[in-house]
Formats: sequence, C-alpha cells, structure tokens
Amino acid sequence: MMDNFPLYVVLVSFFGMFGIFAAHRRPNVREAVTVVVALAKFGLVASMVPGVLAGKTYVFSAGEFVAGIEFVLRADPLGTLFASLASLLWIVTSFYSIGYMRGLDEHSQTRYFASFAASLSATMGIAFAGNLVTIFVFYELLSIATYPLVAHDGTDEARSAGRKYLAYTMFGGGVLVLAGTVLVFFLAGTVTFTPGGIEGLADVANSNESAVQLAYLLLAVGFGVKAGLMPLHQWLPTAMVAPTPVSGLLHAVAVVKSGAFGVARVTLYVFGPEVAYRIGMGVAISTLAAFTLLAASFIALRKDHLKQRLAYSTVSQLSYIVLGLGIFGPYGLIGALLHIPAHAFMKLTLFFCAGAAHVETHTDHISEMAGIGKRMPVVFGAFALAAAGMAGIPLFAGFVSKYYMLIGAAEMGTFAPVGYYLAGALLVSGVLNIAYFWPVVYTAFFEAEDDHDAKPLVDHRPGGERRSTLAVTDGGDPGDEDADADIGPTDLRPDFSGSGSPGERRDYSEPAPLVEGKYAVDANPSDHTTPEEDTRDGGEDRDEARNGSEGRNGAEAHTAAEEADTAHEMDDYDAHHEGPPPGGWRRLSAAEAFRGEETTWFMLGPILVAVTGAVLVGIIPYELGFLELIELIVEGVLSGTEVPA
Amino acid sequence: MSNPELALLVAVPILAATLPLLVGLRFDSVGWPIATVAALVEAGLAVFVASRVATEGRYVHSLGNYPRQYGIELVADGFSAAVVLLIAVVTLAVLGYARRGGAREKTYYSAFLLLCGGLMGIGLTGDVFNMFVFLEIVGLATYALVAAGRSGRSALAALKYLLVGTAGASMYLVGIGFAFVATGTLNMAELSRAIPETVGYSDPLVVASFSFVAVGLSVKAAIFPLHTWMPDAYAEAPDTVTAYIAALVSTLGAYALARIIYSVYTPAFFEAVPLAGDALVAFATTSIVAGSVLAVIQSDVKRMLAYSSVAQFGMIVAAFGLGTEQALLGGAIHLVGHGLMKVGLFLGVGVIASAYGVRTVREYANLGYRSPVTVAAMGILLLGLVGIPPSVGFLGKWYIAWGAIEAGAPVVAAVVLFSTLLTLLYVARLLETLYFRPPDDVEGAVPAADVRLRSDGGGDADAGTDDVSADADAGTDDVSADADAGTDDVSADVGAYVDVDDAGMAEINAGTGTRPVSFGMVFVVAAIAVAAVALGFAGPVFEGFLGPFLEAVL
Repeated sequence: MMDNFPLYVVLVSFFGMFGIFAAHRRPNVREAVTVVVALAKFGLVASMVPGVLAGKTYVFSAGEFVAGIEFVLRADPLGTLFASLASLLWIVTSFYSIGYMRGLDEHSQTRYFASFAASLSATMGIAFAGNLVTIFVFYELLSIATYPLVAHDGTDEARSAGRKYLAYTMFGGGVLVLAGTVLVFFLAGTVTFTPGGIEGLADVANSNESAVQLAYLLLAVGFGVKAGLMPLHQWLPTAMVAPTPVSGLLHAVAVVKSGAFGVARVTLYVFGPEVAYRIGMGVAISTLAAFTLLAASFIALRKDHLKQRLAYSTVSQLSYIVLGLGIFGPYGLIGALLHIPAHAFMKLTLFFCAGAAHVETHTDHISEMAGIGKRMPVVFGAFALAAAGMAGIPLFAGFVSKYYMLIGAAEMGTFAPVGYYLAGALLVSGVLNIAYFWPVVYTAFFEAEDDHDAKPLVDHRPGGERRSTLAVTDGGDPGDEDADADIGPTDLRPDFSGSGSPGERRDYSEPAPLVEGKYAVDANPSDHTTPEEDTRDGGEDRDEARNGSEGRNGAEAHTAAEEADTAHEMDDYDAHHEGPPPGGWRRLSAAEAFRGEETTWFMLGPILVAVTGAVLVGIIPYELGFLELIELIVEGVLSGTEVPA
Repeated sequence: MSNPELALLVAVPILAATLPLLVGLRFDSVGWPIATVAALVEAGLAVFVASRVATEGRYVHSLGNYPRQYGIELVADGFSAAVVLLIAVVTLAVLGYARRGGAREKTYYSAFLLLCGGLMGIGLTGDVFNMFVFLEIVGLATYALVAAGRSGRSALAALKYLLVGTAGASMYLVGIGFAFVATGTLNMAELSRAIPETVGYSDPLVVASFSFVAVGLSVKAAIFPLHTWMPDAYAEAPDTVTAYIAALVSTLGAYALARIIYSVYTPAFFEAVPLAGDALVAFATTSIVAGSVLAVIQSDVKRMLAYSSVAQFGMIVAAFGLGTEQALLGGAIHLVGHGLMKVGLFLGVGVIASAYGVRTVREYANLGYRSPVTVAAMGILLLGLVGIPPSVGFLGKWYIAWGAIEAGAPVVAAVVLFSTLLTLLYVARLLETLYFRPPDDVEGAVPAADVRLRSDGGGDADAGTDDVSADADAGTDDVSADADAGTDDVSADVGAYVDVDDAGMAEINAGTGTRPVSFGMVFVVAAIAVAAVALGFAGPVFEGFLGPFLEAVL
C-alpha cells in the first residue's frame, strides 16, 4: 500500500499547484493551500522514513516509459534523505515566502506560489527517481518549473537571468545528462540505480574504459551544472535576482542540491564508487570541485552584494559535496552526504536573513550594513551562527560534515596522494569562509554607520579605509535628498493593519477588492491589488474596454490615462533607498527584539527554525535521522567494495 | 487482396472534394459540414485500418485486382497506419478549429479535402509512380490553399512554392524514371527485389535514380538548403491552412523519403553505396543547425515556427539516413509527434492572431495572462519541441539519439543532443515574451491600430477568451459546463462587436483579420497539447505498433 507513497509525494504539490491557481482570488486561501500541501508532502515523506530506516524500499512503477526502461519512483535511503530535507524546508520557506512577498507587495504572487509547488514536485521526483531516465524527466521539469521564479521580476535583468538559467541547466540536462544516459544505456543495457553501481558497467569499464569515462564525465558535469560546478556556475549568481525565498530554498537547497544529488546518484548508484575511482574520473571531478570551492571563495570575498556573496558561497559549499563524493572510502561519502542537510539549514538561514534585511531596510550591500545589528539583532545573530557553521566551527552543522570529509581525504591520502591536496583545499576553504562571512557579522554588530571600514575589504587599501553610510556624507547627490527624507523608522516595517497609505496594504483575509464589479486579479494576475496599481499594469486597456462596451464614452479613456499617471507618481513615492535612515539605525530594545519587532514573525519564525536546525545538525545529527540514513546509504553502497591498501 | 477500406481512405476525401462545389450551387455554407463528415469517415476508416494492422500486421489492397507488376497496390503497415492516423486526427482538429476560425469559401473546403485525399494516397500507396501522382495532387491543392490568403504576398508565396515544389516533383519523376529503366517495374516491393537482382545497387542508373528521388523529396520535406519555399508559404497562408500543411505536407514528404529509402532501395543500398546515406545524413544534420539558427532571427512567429520545421525535419531525415532500428523508430515517432505539435502551435498562433491581430514575437508580450489556456498549451507544445519530457518530442529525440550512438555516428548524436539548446534559443525567446515581457516595454511594436482594437471590439473578444480559458483552467470537470457559458459569452460579444463596428473598426478588422475566438478553437489547441504530453508515455505503444514494420525493412 505504501509503495505508492513516492508517487503521492510527487503528485501532492503538483495538484496543489492547480489549487493555488484556483484560489488566486483569495490570497489567504491560496497561501493556506501552499502550507497544507507542504505539510502533507512532508507528512508523506516522514511516514516513509521509519520503513526506510528499517531497510524497506518503497517502489512505484508506472510501467515501461521508453525502450524497456520503466518509469520508476522508489524511496531508498538516499532519496528519502533528500526528499525529507527538501520537503521539511519547504514548510519553513512557505511561511517565509508569505512574509517576504507580502512585505514587498510583490506582483504575480499566484504564479510564484504555483511555480514553487511545481518545483517541489520535480524535486521530489528527482529524489525518488529509480533510474537515469526518470531522474532526467524530473531534472528537466525542475528547470522549467523554476524558470518563472528566476525571471519573476520581469525586469531586463531578471529576464536575462532567466535566459541564462535555462541555457545553462538545459545544457546540463537536455544535452549532457541525456547524452550520458543514452551512453550508459548503450553500454550497460540498463540505467536502473543499483547500490554500488550497475554491474554490467564494471565489466564494460575493463574493455572500453574511455567510453565509460566519457559517460561519467557527461553525467557528472551535466548534474554538476545545477550544483554550480565551475566553469558552469555562472547561472547561480545571476539567478540571485530572484526573490530571496527562491534563492533560499531553490538556489541553496532544492535545485543546487538536485545537482549534487544527481552526482551522488551517478557516482554511487550508476558507476559505483569503485568504478568511479578506478577509471580516474571520481578523482578528476573531486579535483574540479576542489578548484571550484577555492575559486568561488575568492570571488565571494570581492562581492559586496550580500546575496551574490551567498551565491558564491553556495557554489563553494556545493563543491564540498561533490568533492566528498569523489573521495574514495566511507568517511568521505558520509561527510559529503551529511553536508547536504547541513549546508541546507545553514544556507537557508543566511538567505532568510539577507531577505529580511532587504524587506525591512531595503539594504542589499554589505557596505551599507554597518551597525545594522542594532536594528535587527536577532536576524543578524542568526546570520552569525549560520556563518560560523559554514566555516566549520564545532557545534554547528558544517563542522561534522567537514570533519568526516577531512578524515576521508586523509585516509585516501595514504594510497593516493591527491587525498592530501583535497584535505588541504578543505582546510583553506574554512579560512576563506571566515574571511568572507566575518566582515558581514563584524560590520553589523561592531561598526558604526558613520565610521566603518570600506567593504569589500579586499577591494580597498590594506588596513582599511574609513567610510560612512549616513546621508550627510553620501556624496551630496541632490537627487537623493527627498528619497532619504521619505524613509522614517515607521516606514521600515510592513504594516498589515490596512491603515497605511491608501490601497498600499490590505487585509489579506478578505477577498481581493472588487474594481467595478470585477476582481482586479482577473484583469491582472498580480495581486498588489490597488485599483491604481492595477490600472498601471496594462489593466487600463481592460478597464477602458469594459467602460467602452458599457458606455461607449470617449471620456472614459482620459480618466483611465489620468489614473495611470497617478499610479506612476505613487510608484515614485515608493522609491527605495539602501542603507541606514538619517541619523543611523534605530536600536531595538531587548523587549522589542524579544517581541520580534525587527521584522514580521512570518520571517523571523522561519529564520529561527532554520538556525535551530543548523545547530541541531551540528550537535545531534544522529538523533535527527540524517546520519542514520546516511550510514545506511554508505553501508549499502560500499558493501562488496574494498578500499585498496 | 481486396481490402476496400484502403481505397476508400483515399477516395472518400477526393470524391467529397467535389461536393462543396456541386452542392454549393444550391446551398450556402456547405463546405464545413461536408468536410467534417468526410473527415469523420476518414477517422473511422483510419482507426479501423490501424487496429487491423495492429492485429494482422501488413496487408495490401490491389486496385482493380491487377497483379502488382503492373497494377497499383495500396499498402497498410505500421508506418503507413501511423501516418494515416495522424492525417485523420489533424484533419479533424483543423476542421474543429475552422468551424469558427477558418475560411467560409466552398472552394477552400474542396481544396482542403483534395489535399487530405492526396496525403492519404502518399501514406498508403505501394507504387512509386502513383506516389508521384499523389505528390502532385498534394502540391496543387497546397498551392491553391496558400494562395487563399488573397493577398499579393500569399500569391507570391504560392507561386514560389509552385516553382520549387514542381521542380522537386519533377526530380522525383526523373528518379523513378531511371529506376523504371533499370528494372522495368514501378511497384515498391518489386523494385526492392529487382534492383539487386537485375542491375545491382552500385549501378550508376540506380545511384542516379536514388539521388534524384532523394533531392526531389528533400524539397518536399524542406531540408536545408531546399527549404526556401516553406517559410513564405507558411507565413502567408491563412492560419488554418498553415496549421494543416505544416502538420502534414512536409511530414508526408519526409514519410515518402523514408518509404522510398526502406521499401525500395532498402538499407542494403546504403551499405553498397555508403556515400548516399552519408550525404543524406550530412545534409539533414546541417538542416538541424541552419533551421534553428534561422528560426532564432525571425520576428514573425509563423515564420519562426516554419524554420523550426526545417530543423525538426532535418532531425527526422537524419534519423532515416542513419538506418538503425532505433533511429528509424525515433524518426517515425518524431514525424508523428512533430506533426501533432506543429498543428497545435500554428492553431495557437491562429487563436492569438484572431483575438489580438498580432503576429510578431515582440507583439506577443505578456499575452500569457490575457489568453492563459491557449498560451499555456502553446508553451507545453514548445517545450515538447525542445524535447522536455514527458512529451512526444522527448520520445523522438531519445530514440534518434540512441540510434545515432548505435550507428556509431557521434557527430549526429552530438547535433541531435545540442539541438535541444538550439531549439531552446527560439522557444525561450517566445516563452519569455509571452510571460515576462511587460507590454509597455515594447516600443512601437503594437501599432496604433492595435491599440484602438484592444480598446474596442477586440478587447471584448479577448475578454471572452479569458473567461473561457480561466474557467477551463479551474478543472476539467468544469470545462463542459463552462463551455456553454463561454460560447454564449462569445456570441454575445459577437453581437456587441457588430453594434460597435463603426467605419474605423471595420477598417481595422479588414486590416488585421481579427475575429472572435470560440471555445472550440481554444479547446482544440489545449487538447493537442494534452495529447502531445500523453503520447510522451506511449513509447511502448509506438514500439509495438511499428515493431513489425521495422523488422520487415531492416
């Protein structure tokens, strides 16, 4: 009976997507659908965990798909690890999304939540795919489903990021992975994932090594594209133009981890660690990963935009996983696989914090963040904890996984000297992590708005240059004056009470207001819902058409045009300015911080949950089930293989 | 040897083609009903033939019971049955659309039925000269239909097609003439036996005959650089015509090529004369790249899709030229799948042109929210064209790629795989415009006439569409209920439309050819998209259906 659960896990959010579309008129119902679906999905995955831990595998097969290859979804330990992680964090991210999207009055929220649900469907499909063809299907669907999220803003920048994203991921998926899949099928006659590798492939590796090498490279690099493996990582920093929850869940957990997960599947379940090592390609990919993690860290040092810095940090951290997979032996594998959940919790926290700062203060650049810890103590406190974990400081998630990987690399060094270099890369990277995260924490808590080091540090004279972000010394550009003056402390919090500027905020528990007897969302699928804004987004044609058909009155057109003008003025009024308000950040009292007044609980709650997760994975990884699952995976994969002496 | 349903498949539409003209002398508007009845009969016959082929395998019908040495045979096997089914389905779909969205002239439906009969003939005939006759019937009917656009440009496009198409058909005729001289027979099965027995494969006469036939049919299949007639013909023809010919005419050209290669010359010919197969594959592979690149730089959506066909037929013909079992299977699947996807796409273009009068990529800005169902269906079809699974496009690509690796042709395999990215180039461009480009972003692209249009009757028409579409989105159960509502809406709008039709409006109307969009038009496009995805799971069905044919020819 439970054999169909992997299918239900995939379908629940696919159908949820239609529910979200159906509820597009009532934002609160729509978000409720998202949350319910997220909970149901996690519930389904969680219900399989005990069985999987007990050694059961739930298999659903839809019969033959192409050429004797079945369409199989099977919940094995590795798939369950990834699925439980992604579905758990989706719940957290859903709440955060609500706070973030409403806080910014984003447009096209229905499309956003629907695409999110579809993306999670595809992610679950990747997790549970039972062979290379099935994983390819979902890998491609994931690219498609996440495209609307990357291009969400609709600006030139966002659309160009979307194009880049599609081009890179389709190159990785539709070209490289498909080529590798066809090649493996041609060589081995099967593409079914088998713990320890497909048997036929090991024989082929003896007779036709270069073909197997090519197949491994095609698949590993193809999945590596989504994992941000250099030199195909470019899409990830560009995709940071997406809303922050997208960057958080998809570009730090679901999408990039799908890539790393794909590499894991290929290494452990298609070729097997032994063959991957024997044909020399496992080490080659590890070396590429080692290069990536160092190079990305160096680039991160120079990024001033916080999300960009986090993106390069993601590129770097994902390479830990890929590197660990290439380390031959149990410890490397355990470390690599444990880094999947560890990095997920930490990076989600970091992105959530960056997003909270963006929503509350419109501050995106590290150079503008001096003293922001006064304004957002809890958020940046969480940021500091997660950053410490990233650097591999004990008691945080990153330490455990990195420790395993170091042992693995050192152990490998005893029979292959490259292991020592890999260990060295890991150690150096830890230092670099501190080098690019510490300035953020330092500037937030220990520097003053009017007197701080110029960021990014490496771009300036050694020893630092003093800067001030306060309005008085911002260069005196006359264009900035009124924008500065407009932002007072009261403007910094989104106000859901409905008493803000007319039409700007509203009570989301009510259906969207009626505009001339019709729902604004019907004419215009965004839901920033104010009649004026609706008019601005091309709705005027529609209004005009409607007026025209009722009254056929030429004067109506003028009214619509005037409305549009007003809307544009209002838009200007809303112009954002980065950095602290005049006079510096307001210092929150302890009581205010305790009440979560620095932002909304919709954002603060998820941040706290994520950072708690990051700490717990660092302290009790075994009790959380992750390490237990991973040991099960490694046991299954390595049974029968021998570490060469 | 008498299986009259095969003869009926060809004869019914050709005979029915006379009816709109004859009955039209007395009654008006009979074209569509007659064509629909004929199409339904065809669909029934096609299903019957397909089920017989599925159970009994290949069977033939000898016209007039003459022996095949000098008589004409109609042959039904897995491949021809699949193509016949495709023709029947596409004919029904286009007619379903044309009820509201198509032309009203009786001659139009006569030509349409003639074309249908000719296509069926190409699909079923087992005689190379008879195939020439049907190629000419198809050609003539297509020239007439393209010219039905009634503008100078469509007349020019029809003329261009006539010149190039006739040249191609003549080449084909020369080719089969050579084969006839060499062997003394025109029957395919006889030829395949006679060529090796009488003169041998490497005889110059046989090689020359193959070259002429291959080039002639490559013109019909629009392989680069013989594709020049195609973009003009597609772009200038009326939307229903474009959809029909894009789905079927070149498809049957490629089918004829495959049929001639495998049933007449047989793969043994490629082994004896490797250059023939290599040259075909090389041209086809070039076509994939050239067609995609040309598609990217088009501004007109129909023209872009036309160049996309050049690329896709390149992939299909490359598969036929490779000659392995998987490649041939992939080619056949992609032939059917591409026909289905293209008919949906061109009908979608027709819906959008009807509703908004826009035809260029730039003007499509943000339409994803104004006609959600049509555009979503088009999006699915476009992604299918890229080869995103699960879709019939992916199936074709998978088998062709596998066949290429099997045939030891890494270059072809690489191009077929890279064609994903090449297709993505123009698909992503269109999708991005449809969903993410704000309409006010497009400077000068929406002409003044369109602004007036959108603020007047045109706006009403698309409001109607949106209602239908939005409701259809909500769930399939609601569709039928909403269908009526939607149709009522539309007809009400039509009334309003006429009322407000002042002189200016009428002028715009004539200029852009907009007309209200009916539920049926949107439904057809959506149904095709669903079918394209559903067929993505039909790999084993295709394999079982085409298996006997593949075994027979390889």
